[in-house]
Amino acid sequence: MSIYYLNSPLKNEDIENINIGDSVYISGPVFTCRSRLHKYIFDEGNKLPFSTKNRNSLIHVGPIVIKENGKWKLVSFMPTSSIRFEKWGEKSVKEWNLKLIVGKTTMGKKTADAMKKFKCIHVSPQSVSPNLWIDTITIEDVYLFNELGTIEAAWQMKLDKLGPFVVDIDSKGNNLFDALDKKIEENKIEAYKKMGIPQDFEYTKLY
Amino acid sequence: MIQREVYRKVIFDTIKRGSTVISKDVKRIFEESIKKETSVAAKEGLQKTLQSIEMSVEKNNPACPDTGWPIFYFKVGNNCNLEGGFMGLEEAARESVREATRLGLLRATMKHPLTGHDPGDNIGVNIPDFTYKFVPGEDIEITFVAKGGGSECFGGTRHRMIAFADGTIGIKKFITDCYIASTRAGAVCPPSILGVGIGGTANVAANLAKEAACLRAVGSKHPDPMIHKIEAEIYESLNNLGIGTMGSGGDVSVFAVNIEYAYTHIAGIAVATSTNCMVARRATNKIKNSGEIELLESPNWFEGR
Repeated sequence: MSIYYLNSPLKNEDIENINIGDSVYISGPVFTCRSRLHKYIFDEGNKLPFSTKNRNSLIHVGPIVIKENGKWKLVSFMPTSSIRFEKWGEKSVKEWNLKLIVGKTTMGKKTADAMKKFKCIHVSPQSVSPNLWIDTITIEDVYLFNELGTIEAAWQMKLDKLGPFVVDIDSKGNNLFDALDKKIEENKIEAYKKMGIPQDFEYTKLY
Repeated sequence: MIQREVYRKVIFDTIKRGSTVISKDVKRIFEESIKKETSVAAKEGLQKTLQSIEMSVEKNNPACPDTGWPIFYFKVGNNCNLEGGFMGLEEAARESVREATRLGLLRATMKHPLTGHDPGDNIGVNIPDFTYKFVPGEDIEITFVAKGGGSECFGGTRHRMIAFADGTIGIKKFITDCYIASTRAGAVCPPSILGVGIGGTANVAANLAKEAACLRAVGSKHPDPMIHKIEAEIYESLNNLGIGTMGSGGDVSVFAVNIEYAYTHIAGIAVATSTNCMVARRATNKIKNSGEIELLESPNWFEGR
Protein backbone atom coordinates (compact mmCIF):
# COMPACT_ATOMS: atom_id res chain seq x y z
CA MET A 1 0.00 0.00 0.00
CA SER A 2 1.46 3.36 -1.05
CA ILE A 3 0.48 6.95 -0.42
CA TYR A 4 0.18 9.35 -3.37
CA TYR A 5 -0.12 13.13 -3.37
CA LEU A 6 -1.93 14.04 -6.58
CA ASN A 7 -2.06 17.44 -8.24
CA SER A 8 -5.05 18.13 -10.49
CA PRO A 9 -5.12 18.53 -13.50
CA LEU A 10 -3.81 14.98 -13.79
CA LYS A 11 -1.98 13.20 -16.59
CA ASN A 12 -2.13 9.48 -17.33
CA GLU A 13 1.34 8.97 -15.90
CA ASP A 14 0.24 10.47 -12.56
CA ILE A 15 -2.25 7.66 -11.97
CA GLU A 16 -1.14 4.66 -14.02
CA ASN A 17 0.97 3.10 -11.27
CA ILE A 18 -1.61 3.56 -8.53
CA ASN A 19 -3.27 0.35 -7.36
CA ILE A 20 -6.42 -0.53 -5.47
CA GLY A 21 -5.80 -0.24 -1.73
CA ASP A 22 -3.40 2.70 -2.13
CA SER A 23 -4.12 6.00 -0.40
CA VAL A 24 -4.36 9.38 -2.11
CA TYR A 25 -4.44 13.06 -1.13
CA ILE A 26 -5.67 15.55 -3.74
CA SER A 27 -4.64 19.12 -4.53
CA GLY A 28 -5.60 21.54 -7.28
CA PRO A 29 -8.78 22.48 -9.15
CA VAL A 30 -11.75 20.06 -9.12
CA PHE A 31 -15.51 20.26 -9.66
CA THR A 32 -18.59 18.66 -8.11
CA CYS A 33 -21.50 16.82 -9.68
CA ARG A 34 -24.56 14.92 -8.46
CA SER A 35 -27.68 13.39 -10.07
CA ARG A 36 -29.32 16.52 -11.41
CA LEU A 37 -26.21 17.83 -13.13
CA HIS A 38 -25.48 14.43 -14.74
CA LYS A 39 -29.06 14.34 -16.01
CA TYR A 40 -28.94 17.95 -17.18
CA ILE A 41 -25.83 17.24 -19.25
CA PHE A 42 -26.16 13.67 -20.48
CA ASP A 43 -29.94 13.20 -20.74
CA GLU A 44 -31.13 16.70 -21.50
CA GLY A 45 -28.44 17.59 -24.01
CA ASN A 46 -26.81 20.54 -22.27
CA LYS A 47 -23.11 21.32 -22.16
CA LEU A 48 -21.06 21.65 -19.01
CA PRO A 49 -20.63 25.44 -18.77
CA PHE A 50 -16.83 25.23 -18.28
CA SER A 51 -13.91 23.24 -19.64
CA THR A 52 -12.58 20.26 -17.67
CA LYS A 53 -9.22 20.45 -19.44
CA ASN A 54 -7.46 21.96 -16.43
CA ARG A 55 -9.96 20.54 -13.96
CA ASN A 56 -10.13 16.82 -14.78
CA SER A 57 -10.95 15.63 -11.26
CA LEU A 58 -14.56 15.20 -10.19
CA ILE A 59 -16.07 14.88 -6.74
CA HIS A 60 -19.49 13.33 -6.25
CA VAL A 61 -20.63 15.55 -3.40
CA GLY A 62 -23.44 17.84 -2.30
CA PRO A 63 -21.72 20.26 0.05
CA ILE A 64 -23.41 22.55 2.53
CA VAL A 65 -22.52 26.06 1.38
CA ILE A 66 -24.02 29.25 2.76
CA LYS A 67 -23.49 32.87 1.84
CA GLU A 68 -21.84 34.90 4.60
CA ASN A 69 -21.10 38.61 4.08
CA GLY A 70 -21.55 38.15 0.34
CA LYS A 71 -19.04 35.27 0.19
CA TRP A 72 -19.56 31.53 -0.15
CA LYS A 73 -18.73 29.64 3.01
CA LEU A 74 -18.28 25.86 3.00
CA VAL A 75 -20.04 24.53 6.10
CA SER A 76 -19.70 20.80 5.51
CA PHE A 77 -18.46 18.30 2.95
CA MET A 78 -18.74 14.51 2.64
CA PRO A 79 -18.55 12.64 -0.69
CA THR A 80 -21.86 11.03 -1.69
CA SER A 81 -22.43 7.52 -3.10
CA SER A 82 -21.01 7.23 -6.61
CA ILE A 83 -22.88 4.03 -7.47
CA ARG A 84 -26.02 6.16 -8.03
CA PHE A 85 -24.39 7.72 -11.09
CA GLU A 86 -23.36 4.44 -12.72
CA LYS A 87 -25.76 5.12 -15.60
CA TRP A 88 -23.68 8.18 -16.52
CA GLY A 89 -20.27 6.91 -15.33
CA GLU A 90 -18.83 5.85 -18.68
CA LYS A 91 -19.98 9.07 -20.39
CA SER A 92 -18.57 11.27 -17.65
CA VAL A 93 -15.15 9.60 -17.79
CA LYS A 94 -15.04 9.77 -21.59
CA GLU A 95 -16.59 13.14 -22.35
CA TRP A 96 -15.08 15.08 -19.47
CA ASN A 97 -11.70 13.31 -19.84
CA LEU A 98 -11.68 12.55 -16.13
CA LYS A 99 -8.59 11.11 -14.46
CA LEU A 100 -9.98 10.98 -10.94
CA ILE A 101 -13.40 10.57 -9.36
CA VAL A 102 -13.91 10.93 -5.61
CA GLY A 103 -17.06 9.43 -4.15
CA LYS A 104 -18.45 7.23 -1.44
CA THR A 105 -19.00 3.55 -2.30
CA THR A 106 -17.71 2.60 -5.75
CA MET A 107 -18.82 2.39 -9.38
CA GLY A 108 -19.94 -0.55 -11.52
CA LYS A 109 -18.28 -2.71 -14.14
CA LYS A 110 -19.17 -0.44 -17.08
CA THR A 111 -17.49 2.59 -15.49
CA ALA A 112 -14.51 0.50 -14.35
CA ASP A 113 -14.09 -0.66 -17.96
CA ALA A 114 -14.18 2.96 -19.13
CA MET A 115 -11.61 3.84 -16.45
CA LYS A 116 -9.34 1.13 -17.81
CA LYS A 117 -9.81 2.29 -21.38
CA PHE A 118 -9.41 6.03 -20.80
CA LYS A 119 -7.18 5.88 -17.69
CA CYS A 120 -8.99 7.11 -14.62
CA ILE A 121 -9.25 6.06 -10.95
CA HIS A 122 -12.04 6.15 -8.35
CA VAL A 123 -11.27 6.83 -4.70
CA SER A 124 -13.51 6.44 -1.66
CA PRO A 125 -13.50 7.83 1.92
CA GLN A 126 -12.87 5.47 4.83
CA SER A 127 -14.32 7.80 7.42
CA VAL A 128 -17.09 10.38 7.76
CA SER A 129 -14.90 13.28 8.80
CA PRO A 130 -16.06 16.51 7.12
CA ASN A 131 -14.39 18.71 9.74
CA LEU A 132 -10.98 17.21 8.99
CA TRP A 133 -11.50 18.08 5.32
CA ILE A 134 -13.20 21.46 5.03
CA ASP A 135 -10.11 23.54 5.77
CA THR A 136 -8.35 21.96 2.77
CA ILE A 137 -11.10 23.14 0.39
CA THR A 138 -11.54 26.60 -1.13
CA ILE A 139 -14.66 27.41 -3.11
CA GLU A 140 -13.73 29.14 -6.36
CA ASP A 141 -17.01 29.47 -8.24
CA VAL A 142 -20.41 27.92 -8.82
CA TYR A 143 -22.32 27.16 -12.03
CA LEU A 144 -26.01 26.32 -12.55
CA PHE A 145 -26.82 27.38 -8.98
CA ASN A 146 -30.20 28.90 -9.89
CA GLU A 147 -31.14 26.00 -12.17
CA LEU A 148 -30.14 23.10 -9.92
CA GLY A 149 -30.05 24.42 -6.35
CA THR A 150 -27.28 24.56 -3.80
CA ILE A 151 -26.29 20.90 -3.45
CA GLU A 152 -26.82 19.82 -7.07
CA ALA A 153 -25.01 22.78 -8.64
CA ALA A 154 -21.52 22.48 -10.17
CA TRP A 155 -19.11 23.87 -7.58
CA GLN A 156 -15.57 24.60 -8.61
CA MET A 157 -13.20 24.01 -5.73
CA LYS A 158 -9.50 24.22 -5.15
CA LEU A 159 -8.03 21.56 -2.89
CA ASP A 160 -4.96 21.49 -0.72
CA LYS A 161 -4.17 17.85 0.14
CA LEU A 162 -7.74 16.69 0.64
CA GLY A 163 -7.68 13.10 1.89
CA PRO A 164 -6.86 10.40 2.59
CA PHE A 165 -9.08 8.35 0.29
CA VAL A 166 -8.60 4.71 -0.61
CA VAL A 167 -8.29 3.75 -4.28
CA ASP A 168 -11.18 1.39 -4.97
CA ILE A 169 -10.96 1.32 -8.80
CA ASP A 170 -7.55 1.62 -10.44
CA SER A 171 -6.69 2.41 -14.06
CA LYS A 172 -6.43 -1.32 -14.74
CA GLY A 173 -10.13 -1.65 -13.95
CA ASN A 174 -9.66 -3.60 -10.68
CA ASN A 175 -12.18 -3.05 -7.87
CA LEU A 176 -11.11 -3.21 -4.21
CA PHE A 177 -14.59 -4.19 -3.04
CA ASP A 178 -14.81 -7.29 -5.26
CA ALA A 179 -12.21 -9.06 -3.10
CA LEU A 180 -13.89 -7.89 0.11
CA ASP A 181 -17.26 -9.17 -1.13
CA LYS A 182 -15.78 -12.63 -1.63
CA LYS A 183 -14.40 -12.63 1.91
CA ILE A 184 -17.74 -11.56 3.37
CA GLU A 185 -19.56 -14.27 1.38
CA GLU A 186 -17.15 -16.85 2.83
CA ASN A 187 -17.68 -15.54 6.36
CA LYS A 188 -21.44 -15.68 5.78
CA ILE A 189 -21.30 -19.50 5.59
CA GLU A 190 -20.05 -19.62 9.19
CA ALA A 191 -22.60 -17.00 10.30
CA TYR A 192 -25.44 -19.05 8.79
CA LYS A 193 -24.16 -22.15 10.57
CA LYS A 194 -24.06 -20.41 13.94
CA MET A 195 -27.60 -19.09 13.49
CA GLY A 196 -28.92 -22.47 12.35
CA ILE A 197 -29.73 -21.29 8.81
CA PRO A 198 -29.25 -24.19 6.36
CA GLN A 199 -27.00 -23.22 3.42
CA ASP A 200 -29.66 -24.41 0.99
CA PHE A 201 -32.53 -22.63 2.75
CA GLU A 202 -35.19 -21.38 0.37
CA TYR A 203 -38.03 -19.07 1.27
CA THR A 204 -41.56 -20.33 0.75
CA LYS A 205 -42.71 -18.40 -2.28
CA LEU A 206 -45.67 -16.23 -1.34
CA TYR A 207 -45.85 -14.31 -4.62
CA MET B 1 -50.64 25.26 28.76
CA ILE B 2 -47.34 25.15 26.89
CA GLN B 3 -46.78 28.45 25.12
CA ARG B 4 -46.05 28.58 21.39
CA GLU B 5 -42.83 30.53 21.81
CA VAL B 6 -41.59 27.85 24.24
CA TYR B 7 -42.15 24.86 21.96
CA ARG B 8 -40.97 26.80 18.89
CA LYS B 9 -37.61 27.43 20.58
CA VAL B 10 -37.35 23.88 21.91
CA ILE B 11 -38.00 22.42 18.44
CA PHE B 12 -35.23 24.57 16.95
CA ASP B 13 -32.82 23.59 19.74
CA THR B 14 -33.70 19.91 19.23
CA ILE B 15 -32.90 20.15 15.49
CA LYS B 16 -29.64 21.95 16.24
CA ARG B 17 -28.51 19.39 18.81
CA GLY B 18 -29.72 16.51 16.64
CA SER B 19 -27.64 17.68 13.72
CA THR B 20 -24.48 18.81 15.50
CA VAL B 21 -24.09 16.54 18.56
CA ILE B 22 -24.26 12.76 18.86
CA SER B 23 -25.85 11.23 21.94
CA LYS B 24 -23.80 9.61 24.72
CA ASP B 25 -24.70 6.04 23.77
CA VAL B 26 -23.47 6.59 20.20
CA LYS B 27 -20.26 8.20 21.46
CA ARG B 28 -19.72 5.26 23.81
CA ILE B 29 -20.04 2.68 21.02
CA PHE B 30 -17.53 4.65 18.94
CA GLU B 31 -15.04 4.58 21.83
CA GLU B 32 -15.60 0.87 22.53
CA SER B 33 -15.26 0.01 18.84
CA ILE B 34 -12.03 2.01 18.47
CA LYS B 35 -10.56 -0.05 21.34
CA LYS B 36 -11.78 -3.32 19.89
CA GLU B 37 -10.95 -2.81 16.19
CA THR B 38 -7.76 -4.55 15.00
CA SER B 39 -7.73 -3.37 11.36
CA VAL B 40 -5.57 -0.24 11.20
CA ALA B 41 -7.62 1.44 8.45
CA ALA B 42 -10.96 0.64 10.10
CA LYS B 43 -9.71 1.89 13.49
CA GLU B 44 -8.46 5.11 11.89
CA GLY B 45 -11.77 5.53 10.10
CA LEU B 46 -13.64 5.37 13.39
CA GLN B 47 -11.17 7.67 15.14
CA LYS B 48 -11.34 10.30 12.41
CA THR B 49 -15.12 10.13 12.28
CA LEU B 50 -15.39 10.62 16.04
CA GLN B 51 -12.81 13.41 15.96
CA SER B 52 -14.80 15.21 13.26
CA ILE B 53 -18.08 14.71 15.15
CA GLU B 54 -16.54 16.31 18.22
CA MET B 55 -15.35 19.27 16.16
CA SER B 56 -18.93 19.86 14.99
CA VAL B 57 -19.98 20.82 18.51
CA GLU B 58 -17.35 23.53 18.58
CA LYS B 59 -17.88 24.65 14.97
CA ASN B 60 -21.66 24.46 15.31
CA ASN B 61 -21.99 22.60 11.99
CA PRO B 62 -23.68 19.31 11.08
CA ALA B 63 -21.86 16.15 12.18
CA CYS B 64 -22.50 14.91 8.64
CA PRO B 65 -23.59 17.13 5.74
CA ASP B 66 -26.23 14.64 4.67
CA THR B 67 -28.81 15.72 7.21
CA GLY B 68 -31.28 13.67 5.18
CA TRP B 69 -35.00 13.53 5.82
CA PRO B 70 -36.12 15.78 8.69
CA ILE B 71 -38.22 13.54 10.92
CA PHE B 72 -40.04 14.38 14.15
CA TYR B 73 -41.35 12.05 16.82
CA PHE B 74 -43.69 13.52 19.40
CA LYS B 75 -44.36 11.57 22.58
CA VAL B 76 -47.38 13.39 23.87
CA GLY B 77 -49.10 13.30 27.23
CA ASN B 78 -52.80 12.53 26.85
CA ASN B 79 -53.61 15.77 28.68
CA CYS B 80 -50.93 17.88 27.01
CA ASN B 81 -52.23 21.32 26.16
CA LEU B 82 -50.37 23.31 23.51
CA GLU B 83 -51.05 26.90 22.57
CA GLY B 84 -52.18 26.69 18.94
CA GLY B 85 -52.74 22.93 19.21
CA PHE B 86 -50.96 20.26 17.25
CA MET B 87 -51.29 22.12 13.96
CA GLY B 88 -49.41 24.92 15.69
CA LEU B 89 -46.75 22.41 16.74
CA GLU B 90 -46.29 21.17 13.18
CA GLU B 91 -46.16 24.72 11.82
CA ALA B 92 -43.47 25.55 14.40
CA ALA B 93 -41.53 22.46 13.31
CA ARG B 94 -41.68 23.58 9.67
CA GLU B 95 -40.55 27.09 10.64
CA SER B 96 -37.66 25.64 12.63
CA VAL B 97 -36.54 23.35 9.80
CA ARG B 98 -36.60 26.34 7.44
CA GLU B 99 -34.54 28.41 9.87
CA ALA B 100 -32.05 25.57 10.55
CA THR B 101 -31.59 25.09 6.80
CA ARG B 102 -30.98 28.81 6.27
CA LEU B 103 -28.26 28.70 8.95
CA GLY B 104 -26.57 25.63 7.45
CA LEU B 105 -27.50 23.40 10.39
CA LEU B 106 -29.43 21.28 7.90
CA ARG B 107 -28.60 20.81 4.23
CA ALA B 108 -31.33 21.69 1.70
CA THR B 109 -31.73 18.07 0.72
CA MET B 110 -35.49 17.61 0.22
CA LYS B 111 -36.59 17.81 -3.44
CA HIS B 112 -39.63 17.01 -5.58
CA PRO B 113 -39.33 13.25 -6.30
CA LEU B 114 -39.99 13.55 -10.05
CA THR B 115 -38.84 16.99 -11.13
CA GLY B 116 -36.06 17.41 -8.60
CA HIS B 117 -37.46 20.86 -7.76
CA ASP B 118 -35.53 22.31 -4.84
CA PRO B 119 -37.58 24.44 -2.43
CA GLY B 120 -34.26 25.27 -0.76
CA ASP B 121 -35.64 24.93 2.76
CA ASN B 122 -36.44 21.22 3.19
CA ILE B 123 -40.19 21.92 3.28
CA GLY B 124 -42.49 20.15 0.85
CA VAL B 125 -45.47 17.83 0.53
CA ASN B 126 -45.45 15.41 3.51
CA ILE B 127 -42.02 16.67 4.62
CA PRO B 128 -41.03 17.04 7.44
CA ASP B 129 -42.54 13.80 8.67
CA PHE B 130 -44.41 13.66 12.00
CA THR B 131 -45.13 10.62 14.18
CA TYR B 132 -47.08 10.72 17.44
CA LYS B 133 -47.27 8.42 20.41
CA PHE B 134 -49.71 9.07 23.24
CA VAL B 135 -48.85 8.40 26.86
CA PRO B 136 -50.38 9.37 30.23
CA GLY B 137 -49.54 12.86 31.52
CA GLU B 138 -49.40 16.45 30.32
CA ASP B 139 -45.83 16.78 29.01
CA ILE B 140 -44.46 16.49 25.48
CA GLU B 141 -41.19 14.92 24.38
CA ILE B 142 -39.86 16.15 21.05
CA THR B 143 -37.37 14.05 19.10
CA PHE B 144 -35.67 15.15 15.90
CA VAL B 145 -33.96 12.60 13.68
CA ALA B 146 -31.76 13.50 10.72
CA LYS B 147 -32.16 10.34 8.63
CA GLY B 148 -29.25 10.23 6.22
CA GLY B 149 -29.65 9.24 2.58
CA GLY B 150 -26.98 6.54 2.67
CA SER B 151 -28.62 4.66 5.50
CA GLU B 152 -32.10 5.00 4.04
CA CYS B 153 -31.44 4.39 0.33
CA PHE B 154 -28.83 1.76 -0.27
CA GLY B 155 -30.63 -1.36 0.80
CA GLY B 156 -30.72 -0.14 4.37
CA THR B 157 -34.48 -0.15 4.23
CA ARG B 158 -36.15 -3.30 2.93
CA HIS B 159 -39.10 -5.49 3.64
CA ARG B 160 -40.29 -8.97 2.81
CA MET B 161 -43.31 -11.08 3.61
CA ILE B 162 -42.04 -14.30 5.16
CA ALA B 163 -44.19 -17.41 5.45
CA PHE B 164 -44.94 -18.54 8.99
CA ALA B 165 -43.52 -21.90 7.86
CA ASP B 166 -40.10 -20.25 7.34
CA GLY B 167 -40.19 -18.91 10.91
CA THR B 168 -37.24 -17.48 12.78
CA ILE B 169 -34.75 -19.03 10.35
CA GLY B 170 -36.28 -17.18 7.40
CA ILE B 171 -36.36 -13.98 9.40
CA LYS B 172 -32.69 -14.26 10.44
CA LYS B 173 -31.61 -15.03 6.88
CA PHE B 174 -33.49 -12.04 5.50
CA ILE B 175 -31.99 -9.66 8.08
CA THR B 176 -28.45 -10.97 7.52
CA ASP B 177 -28.66 -10.83 3.73
CA CYS B 178 -30.15 -7.31 3.80
CA TYR B 179 -27.36 -6.02 6.00
CA ILE B 180 -24.62 -7.52 3.84
CA ALA B 181 -26.15 -6.08 0.66
CA SER B 182 -26.60 -2.65 2.20
CA THR B 183 -23.06 -2.33 3.51
CA ARG B 184 -21.30 -3.15 0.23
CA ALA B 185 -18.58 -0.56 -0.41
CA GLY B 186 -19.73 1.34 2.67
CA ALA B 187 -23.10 2.32 1.20
CA VAL B 188 -24.99 2.74 4.49
CA CYS B 189 -21.87 4.05 6.28
CA PRO B 190 -21.25 1.01 8.52
CA PRO B 191 -20.89 0.19 11.37
CA SER B 192 -24.60 1.06 11.37
CA ILE B 193 -27.39 0.68 13.86
CA LEU B 194 -29.65 -1.99 12.43
CA GLY B 195 -33.34 -1.72 13.24
CA VAL B 196 -35.74 -4.57 12.53
CA GLY B 197 -39.53 -4.65 12.59
CA ILE B 198 -41.34 -7.97 12.67
CA GLY B 199 -45.10 -8.32 12.18
CA GLY B 200 -48.01 -5.97 11.61
CA THR B 201 -48.81 -4.78 8.10
CA ALA B 202 -45.80 -3.96 5.93
CA ASN B 203 -45.91 -0.28 6.91
CA VAL B 204 -46.11 -1.15 10.63
CA ALA B 205 -43.04 -3.39 10.29
CA ALA B 206 -41.22 -0.64 8.34
CA ASN B 207 -42.07 1.99 10.94
CA LEU B 208 -40.99 -0.27 13.80
CA ALA B 209 -37.71 -0.95 12.00
CA LYS B 210 -37.03 2.75 11.51
CA GLU B 211 -37.93 3.58 15.09
CA ALA B 212 -35.78 0.67 16.38
CA ALA B 213 -32.82 2.01 14.34
CA CYS B 214 -33.26 5.69 15.15
CA LEU B 215 -34.90 5.89 18.56
CA ARG B 216 -33.53 3.04 20.66
CA ALA B 217 -30.32 3.78 22.54
CA VAL B 218 -27.30 1.77 21.41
CA GLY B 219 -26.76 -0.97 23.97
CA SER B 220 -30.43 -1.21 24.94
CA LYS B 221 -32.02 -4.65 25.03
CA HIS B 222 -35.51 -5.69 24.07
CA PRO B 223 -37.21 -6.66 27.36
CA ASP B 224 -38.62 -9.89 25.91
CA PRO B 225 -35.80 -12.47 26.27
CA MET B 226 -36.92 -14.31 23.13
CA ILE B 227 -36.52 -11.15 21.05
CA HIS B 228 -33.29 -10.14 22.74
CA LYS B 229 -31.82 -13.56 22.02
CA ILE B 230 -32.32 -12.93 18.30
CA GLU B 231 -30.85 -9.41 18.64
CA ALA B 232 -27.74 -10.83 20.32
CA GLU B 233 -27.38 -13.69 17.86
CA ILE B 234 -27.58 -11.45 14.78
CA TYR B 235 -25.31 -8.83 16.39
CA GLU B 236 -22.62 -11.42 16.95
CA SER B 237 -22.97 -12.97 13.51
CA LEU B 238 -22.83 -9.64 11.67
CA ASN B 239 -19.76 -8.63 13.66
CA ASN B 240 -17.96 -11.73 12.43
CA LEU B 241 -18.46 -10.93 8.74
CA GLY B 242 -15.49 -8.56 8.35
CA ILE B 243 -17.44 -5.64 6.83
CA GLY B 244 -15.67 -2.98 8.91
CA THR B 245 -15.74 0.83 8.85
CA MET B 246 -17.20 2.10 5.56
CA GLY B 247 -17.25 -1.47 4.26
CA SER B 248 -13.50 -1.55 3.77
CA GLY B 249 -12.88 -4.55 6.02
CA GLY B 250 -12.58 -4.77 9.80
CA ASP B 251 -13.88 -6.35 12.99
CA VAL B 252 -16.70 -3.97 13.90
CA SER B 253 -19.45 -4.27 11.31
CA VAL B 254 -22.57 -3.23 13.21
CA PHE B 255 -23.05 -0.97 16.26
CA ALA B 256 -26.35 -2.47 17.41
CA VAL B 257 -29.19 -4.74 16.36
CA ASN B 258 -32.54 -3.51 17.70
CA ILE B 259 -35.67 -5.54 17.04
CA GLU B 260 -39.29 -4.54 17.68
CA TYR B 261 -42.39 -6.56 16.86
CA ALA B 262 -46.15 -6.40 16.47
CA TYR B 263 -48.81 -9.08 16.51
CA THR B 264 -49.77 -10.06 13.02
CA HIS B 265 -51.83 -12.06 10.56
CA ILE B 266 -49.67 -15.13 10.09
CA ALA B 267 -50.57 -15.46 6.42
CA GLY B 268 -47.32 -13.58 5.88
CA ILE B 269 -44.93 -12.18 8.46
CA ALA B 270 -43.80 -8.74 7.38
CA VAL B 271 -40.12 -8.29 8.23
CA ALA B 272 -38.52 -4.91 7.64
CA THR B 273 -35.04 -3.58 8.19
CA SER B 274 -33.84 -0.02 8.54
CA THR B 275 -30.29 1.05 9.20
CA ASN B 276 -29.13 4.25 10.80
CA CYS B 277 -25.80 5.86 9.91
CA MET B 278 -22.75 5.32 12.15
CA VAL B 279 -23.03 9.09 12.65
CA ALA B 280 -26.47 8.44 14.15
CA ARG B 281 -28.17 11.75 14.76
CA ARG B 282 -31.12 12.28 17.06
CA ALA B 283 -31.99 14.56 19.95
CA THR B 284 -34.83 14.69 22.43
CA ASN B 285 -36.13 17.49 24.62
CA LYS B 286 -39.02 17.34 27.03
CA ILE B 287 -41.34 20.24 27.78
CA LYS B 288 -43.33 19.96 30.96
CA ASN B 289 -46.75 21.54 31.29
CA SER B 290 -45.11 24.10 33.59
CA GLY B 291 -42.94 25.20 30.66
CA GLU B 292 -39.85 23.67 32.25
CA ILE B 293 -37.49 22.12 29.69
CA GLU B 294 -35.46 18.96 30.18
CA LEU B 295 -32.78 17.60 27.87
CA LEU B 296 -33.14 13.83 27.44
CA GLU B 297 -30.35 11.50 26.34
CA SER B 298 -32.75 8.95 24.87
CA PRO B 299 -36.21 9.31 23.30
CA ASN B 300 -37.46 6.40 25.50
CA TRP B 301 -39.81 5.76 22.60
CA PHE B 302 -40.45 2.11 23.38
CA GLU B 303 -40.79 2.54 27.14
CA GLY B 304 -43.88 0.55 27.98
CA ARG B 305 -43.77 -0.42 24.28
